[in-house]
Amino acid sequence: RNYYGGNWASFSFSGLCSWIRENKQKRDVREESDDWRKLILETEEAISLNMKDNTIQHIEYICYANQDLAEDVNEAGALRKLSAFGVSDNGEATQGSEKECQPVESQSLGPESCEVSPESITCNDPESATERSDAEMTSESENLCDATSDESALEKGKMENASTAETAALEPKKITYTQIVIEGRRFNIDLVSKLLYSRGLLIDLLTKSNVSRYAEFKNVTRILAFQEGRVEQVPCSRADVFNSRQLTMVEKRMLMKFLTFCLDYEQHPNEYEDYKEYKFSEYLKTQKLTSNLQHFILHSIAMVSEADSGTIDGLKATKKFLQCLGRYGNTPFLFPLYGQGEIPQCFCRMCAVFGGIYCLRHSVKCLVVDKESGRCKAMIDHFGQRISAKYFVVEDSYFSEKTCTNMCYRQISRAVLITDQSILKTDSDQQISILTVPPEELGLPAIRIIELCSSTMTCMRNTYLVHFTCSSTKTAKEDLEPIVQKLFSLNSETERESENEGGPEKPRVLWALYFNMRDSSGIDKNSYDSLPSNVYVCSGPDCELGSDYAVKQAETIFQEMFPNEEFCPPPPNPEDIIYDGDGTQTEDPGFSNSSNVITKPSPEENSGGDGDSNQFSEEQHEE
Amino acid sequence: MMAIRELKVCLLGDTGVGKSSIVCRFVQDHFDHNISPTIGASFMTKTVPCGNELHKFLIWDTAGQERFHSLAPMYYRGSAAAVIVYDITKQDSFHTLKKWVKELKEHGPENIVMAIAGNKCDLSDLREVPMKDAKEYAESIGAIVVETSAKNAINIEELFQGISRQIPPLDPHENGNNGSIKLGKQTTQTTRRCC
Repeated sequence: RNYYGGNWASFSFSGLCSWIRENKQKRDVREESDDWRKLILETEEAISLNMKDNTIQHIEYICYANQDLAEDVNEAGALRKLSAFGVSDNGEATQGSEKECQPVESQSLGPESCEVSPESITCNDPESATERSDAEMTSESENLCDATSDESALEKGKMENASTAETAALEPKKITYTQIVIEGRRFNIDLVSKLLYSRGLLIDLLTKSNVSRYAEFKNVTRILAFQEGRVEQVPCSRADVFNSRQLTMVEKRMLMKFLTFCLDYEQHPNEYEDYKEYKFSEYLKTQKLTSNLQHFILHSIAMVSEADSGTIDGLKATKKFLQCLGRYGNTPFLFPLYGQGEIPQCFCRMCAVFGGIYCLRHSVKCLVVDKESGRCKAMIDHFGQRISAKYFVVEDSYFSEKTCTNMCYRQISRAVLITDQSILKTDSDQQISILTVPPEELGLPAIRIIELCSSTMTCMRNTYLVHFTCSSTKTAKEDLEPIVQKLFSLNSETERESENEGGPEKPRVLWALYFNMRDSSGIDKNSYDSLPSNVYVCSGPDCELGSDYAVKQAETIFQEMFPNEEFCPPPPNPEDIIYDGDGTQTEDPGFSNSSNVITKPSPEENSGGDGDSNQFSEEQHEE
Repeated sequence: MMAIRELKVCLLGDTGVGKSSIVCRFVQDHFDHNISPTIGASFMTKTVPCGNELHKFLIWDTAGQERFHSLAPMYYRGSAAAVIVYDITKQDSFHTLKKWVKELKEHGPENIVMAIAGNKCDLSDLREVPMKDAKEYAESIGAIVVETSAKNAINIEELFQGISRQIPPLDPHENGNNGSIKLGKQTTQTTRRCC
């Protein structure tokens, strides 16, 4: 693997395409040599590990966007290859050009106006360039101005601005596949789709450990509901409820009364005592709530199952939601800029700053177990290097079927769409929304949809990235495509124009990916066949919206290894770190036979065996 | 009062070329022969005046993650500049510059200012990389280039001054953080609850 976080990772568009290719490829691993067996002594035995990740299945991707030019287009890099730096009057030229561009700039630039796209210069693809939006035109011309004082370039930029300015804002921008490929690095597409509860365990952990310094977040701006074929916004904060135009006065009062009660429902047991054995959906019916409000509370606020969640579960979930409101904004959720995949990287950075060593592009052949003690002593990588350690944290997917006999995994169905408009258009096109769609049939899982706008830095301008998640009953496409069809138009450009009569226009899907991911959460450690006691198994991502499961699991594993150490303590102030006088620097490339390649700082740093345990950090997601 | 602008600068380059020494010299004006691999400091800061602004450099070191080519995309996020360091006495370290530039292209932000530092110029007896090669390469990618010695404090200040000069003037639209949230322990606990 050349990326962090396993199934928690996120990818640029081209990165995701290679991930798809890798997972579709059925690589026969058995032909590889068995040389590593020589490294195992007579007193030892090996637990061989999977060389290929089997956690992803049923990958399907479909491109709906216009593909005419898509043959040999490549993702554009970040750097412009210009020697403009050397030009002495560069400053003047820039200032001059800024004036030229200003009028257009002020009307079209959104919150990410600092984002310019130099791709437009490096890309030698005039046809797609003419299709670009006015906003991009602006930045393009700005760039041209900025890069060179060439008069004709300025003229060209102005002309393009003028020609596109009129059609701006009315039509959704037509994005072609070529543009998606060229702007591919603006995408950060997560394999798992989660949010952070603003008072959840992950936020606590990030702030306590100061790992939060490496990340930035956006508040989710809208909670949505899907009723009778329509998407609508759910009022959930006090302000929302009062300002809501879709609720009647009576409904507003009902909703406020019920939510106020939920915030401290434990104090009023007589209100729900009689309904303890009921389902939450049934309980809601007994409250003075219209069916509209019942839908909001059940599916969008509590987000619990209609078929099998009890009254207490529902009240608990509603309370959790309400308690998270207002901490960072008007909804309970945060989303990390650049995607969920940043979070594992942030933990890795903190660990590296304190001496942890990471190795990408290494795969692990086997674990070496000492026959006499039954403990794991070392691992062997695919270069035939033997690395000793005291503790091994291994993700479930590394174990072969032999170790995981009779294991019954759940599956997660996922879809990722790139679309051209929001599922609920409003004044601002920069919304981050969550929508829970209840199942068609009672008993089937609900589908969670998270729609991200370009200011989350997960998709290119004028597109949206839409994540679908549910626990699988069939393949991801079978589970999710029906709802995709309800919310979006899957037609290609031309079909759409003929069909465009009557009815509200649905956003268009430009590109779609479906896949199933194994959900190894909730598997008991004892289910793994005869693992040494110093091998700790961690699961892949679960299906829930929050990350509580992963945080708890990381803490549990850590406490088992180091019962007397604090989990993710606040880092010491850099000024308080005193280096060992004899901390010698090793010149060798890292993995010597022991794990002590790290020069350890003085006791201020909670050294708790980091040096020993971090060898598997590559596979240690979230921890 | 002069406006303070925080500028993230990320350091790149092979293990042992003197990345940390350069920061150490710049920030603390100090050189240590046995500098241990950067532990405990996520980034170092130094503020320098530039025109009518103050540039506060937040200099991110690789924390050793370059050793196994394990720098994550997150390392490059939001960088205003990158300093790519090679060792003038090691041809190999110059060869790999291109690899680091490629990384930047893939993961770095647009319009990042690039500076190439040929470090250890005090050891010119052992020179393997001619200055001319570095200059030509830097020009081809639009980067600043200087030869430095963290040990003898040569051109270190100049390197960062050069970066300062290349930083484009503050864009009025860029003000603020476009609505993103930084979590901190001192987060304002506005208990403005729903009901």
